[in-house]
Amino acid sequence: MPLLVFVVIVFGVPMLVLLGGTFTKEGAFSTANLTESLQGAYLTALLGSVKISALVAVLGGVLGTFLAQAVVTSRFRTLREAVLTASGVLANFGGVPLAFAWIATLGNSGVVTTTLGLGQHGWSLYNFWGLTLVYLYFSIPLQVLTVVPALDGLRPQWREAAQNNGASTWQFWRYVGIPVLTPALLGGVVLLFGGAFSAYATAQAMVGSTVPLVTLKIADALTGNVLIGHENVALALSLDMIVVAGLVMAVYLPLQRRSARWLR
Amino acid sequence: MNGARVEFRGLRRRFGSTVALDGLDLTVEPGELIALLGPSGCGKTTALRCLAGFEQPDEGEVLVDGADITRVPANRRDAGMVFQSYSLFPNLNARDNVSFGMRVRKAPTAKRHARAQELLELVGLPSVGERYPHQLSGGQQQRVALARALALEPRVLLLDEPLSALDAKVRVTLREEIRRLQLSLGITTIFVTHDQEEALSMADRVAVLRDGRLEQVADPATLYDRPATPFVAEFVGAMNHLTGLVSGDRVTVLGQTLPVEGRAPDTAQVDVLVRPEAVLVTPVDASGAEGDGIVMVSSFRGSTARLRVHLGDGTEVLADVPGHDSARFAPGTAVRVGLVERPVLVSARSETGAATAVPEPDVV
Amino acid sequence: MASLTPQVTTQVATGTAPARGGRPRRPRVWRGVVLVLAAVYFLVPLIASFVFTVEVPNQGFSLDAYGQIFSAEGFGGSLLLSLGLGVATIVLVLLLTLPAAVAVRLGAPRLRPVLEVVCTLPLVVPPITFVAGISTVLRWGPDYLATTPLYQTMIAVQNPDFPVVLVLAYVVLALPFAYRSLDAGLGAIDVRTLSEAARNLGASWPHVLLRVIIPNMRSAMASASFLTLALVLGEFTIARLLSFETFPNWIYRISGSQAQVSVAVSVFSLLITWLLLLALSSAGARQRSGS
Repeated sequence: MPLLVFVVIVFGVPMLVLLGGTFTKEGAFSTANLTESLQGAYLTALLGSVKISALVAVLGGVLGTFLAQAVVTSRFRTLREAVLTASGVLANFGGVPLAFAWIATLGNSGVVTTTLGLGQHGWSLYNFWGLTLVYLYFSIPLQVLTVVPALDGLRPQWREAAQNNGASTWQFWRYVGIPVLTPALLGGVVLLFGGAFSAYATAQAMVGSTVPLVTLKIADALTGNVLIGHENVALALSLDMIVVAGLVMAVYLPLQRRSARWLR
Repeated sequence: MNGARVEFRGLRRRFGSTVALDGLDLTVEPGELIALLGPSGCGKTTALRCLAGFEQPDEGEVLVDGADITRVPANRRDAGMVFQSYSLFPNLNARDNVSFGMRVRKAPTAKRHARAQELLELVGLPSVGERYPHQLSGGQQQRVALARALALEPRVLLLDEPLSALDAKVRVTLREEIRRLQLSLGITTIFVTHDQEEALSMADRVAVLRDGRLEQVADPATLYDRPATPFVAEFVGAMNHLTGLVSGDRVTVLGQTLPVEGRAPDTAQVDVLVRPEAVLVTPVDASGAEGDGIVMVSSFRGSTARLRVHLGDGTEVLADVPGHDSARFAPGTAVRVGLVERPVLVSARSETGAATAVPEPDVV
Repeated sequence: MASLTPQVTTQVATGTAPARGGRPRRPRVWRGVVLVLAAVYFLVPLIASFVFTVEVPNQGFSLDAYGQIFSAEGFGGSLLLSLGLGVATIVLVLLLTLPAAVAVRLGAPRLRPVLEVVCTLPLVVPPITFVAGISTVLRWGPDYLATTPLYQTMIAVQNPDFPVVLVLAYVVLALPFAYRSLDAGLGAIDVRTLSEAARNLGASWPHVLLRVIIPNMRSAMASASFLTLALVLGEFTIARLLSFETFPNWIYRISGSQAQVSVAVSVFSLLITWLLLLALSSAGARQRSGS
């Protein structure tokens, strides 16, 4: 199949080179790059990325679920359609334009900042929390999109069967509703983590390098902003990222499969 | 376990502009299996859900053994329910599904498991306790759902079209088993279905509903032989509508004059309602006289064959002949058509009622 | 266990049962609060961005920023480059995925897991690590391949007027989305029966693909194309790190000197992307109601 050949060349070769480069230092096999990528400023960046991604995933997961439940239980079909379409659009809204929209809103000379005089109260968008706020902008809609099908899949018969067996509303949620939804909810959270973890454009356009993130560090190293002889550290950092992202997928896929089976 | 008496009194329920229940009155005797039969939208499911507590009637009350339970929340009613399909909790295995009600009531684990096993054996599935719903066939799922409905020893068992999502074969075995179980437990059971064959074969009595009202409640034989209204006649079994002329208490149809069952209407021209098995057909041999009609279609059903006969005046008649005779009635055969000598039902001609045979419903 | 009913009945008689109208009210308030908060959070940045672009200090309302977009240096070039890359990517990704998706459904279902994995990989591997690999390959190229014809190829794909290397990279990024929409489209039309029916009526294989499958796949192909185009138009990471000035990179570059124009372009490009996606989702809805 031509597709497979294409992927092997265009995708496989860079990945092999990346792997090779990671374990090469001054022409010989070495784990020095990998070790270095897990130390000092690099480690801080990696942990920073994990920290912000985890925070965005949990917050986005919880808030997105509430929004999804509000929409699903609403009787207005148009509201539901509107929110779902908007979510589809917003979940794809990332990169540079997203950063600029927020800078224009809550940046140092942003419209809301100046209108409310937030500047005098020490407000700044260009830090960890500001970035979290911005990441949530595409993460919450993504969670809505993941969770709505699961909420729709909760059959009314289950609630009625539970009542019929003497269960209260709380007991229904505890023994049936929440367990049934858990794979979908966790699956969504894992996706959000992955999205925030690999985001680069928004962070670059917004905070430059004031918040330590692994994607920013890799970009720095690739654009030559690194000591001679340490170029391959970027490759090692990339490998670290792939390992983390791979773990995330390894968690996500089984959850997704189970959810699909239950909510068939 | 003893059965309870269930009474619906003047039950009314509307959803927006549609009236689901329009003053339903029905009493179900203790230990009886009653089938609620009717086309979709006739209110049969709504009636069941009012009894289970998932719907609140706008007017009227539901009584169980004389006690008004209309305002009792669904989780405090003493009625086990089996749903149409997919009602098993997907995150629990069969055993935990069956023992769900006992878990809610904080029964000790060992006792729960023993009871669940007992119930699974009762429904003929002793070894599926560890399996999850998606690992069970449709028929097995409904058996587990039945076990779950019986787990709390309810005084009423509610079945909401529990067989309609199953294959024809499984449907027949399972309905026989439900009936056997119901008889041995003596539990009052209300069975909602749109399948007349199911209703007639299982129930002690069948209640036919139409537009939220009771049309007739009777045992299956009475319902079939003496339908109280044209709707019931139409809905239960296949029925021919033939044009007849009434004079006194007799009616002339297809050249025969037969007594009228019940009271004859005032109009002279009437619809005469005749079951296919009450239509007599005989082939006209090559030498013989002219026939009344020609066989258009013959469908073989084993013990009988059902013929669609085109009469000279353009009407069509359904007629049943013994299966082993079907070879004599191949399509194209000219036949003579008559009726069995016995009282027939007549009804005033409905405005729309052209005297043609009904589109063939399910086998009875 | 057998008779809970009487007990409950007395409870009802003493009037402790909740009034029927009272219960649904609480969730309604809760739902309203959630929806209002969500609306504020999602709408304010959009409105604020617009206000930011039309409000000139000391002058009040003005649409100048939007007018300046078109005269700004580099606008046309970068936009055309991005559109060109988008079209090339769409063509290539469809040429690669459509036959593969059809083949997997008809001829080689055993290859399906392989294809699924291949099409999930780009989701697992963050774009920035992908570009790290690519740039290393491109950097090493001259050292190792200088004497071979491959070297010429390496130079050619990096032509700044039309960087083929970006097309190749974007095809990889677009694979998961394209494959999924095509596979969903194929699933909806039952290719096997359709193609067997066509073969039975005497059609040749190319004929089946061109006259039977593709016409029935129009909306799935359109959705794959739209998603790919949206992806290419918004892609920043790879283009920036390989130093090609695509549209998003141009926005980023001018943000330093012309903040207002850059936000205006952001709003503008957002609108375009949204229109694309809205067209896509409404086309999808029509398709569903049609079948």
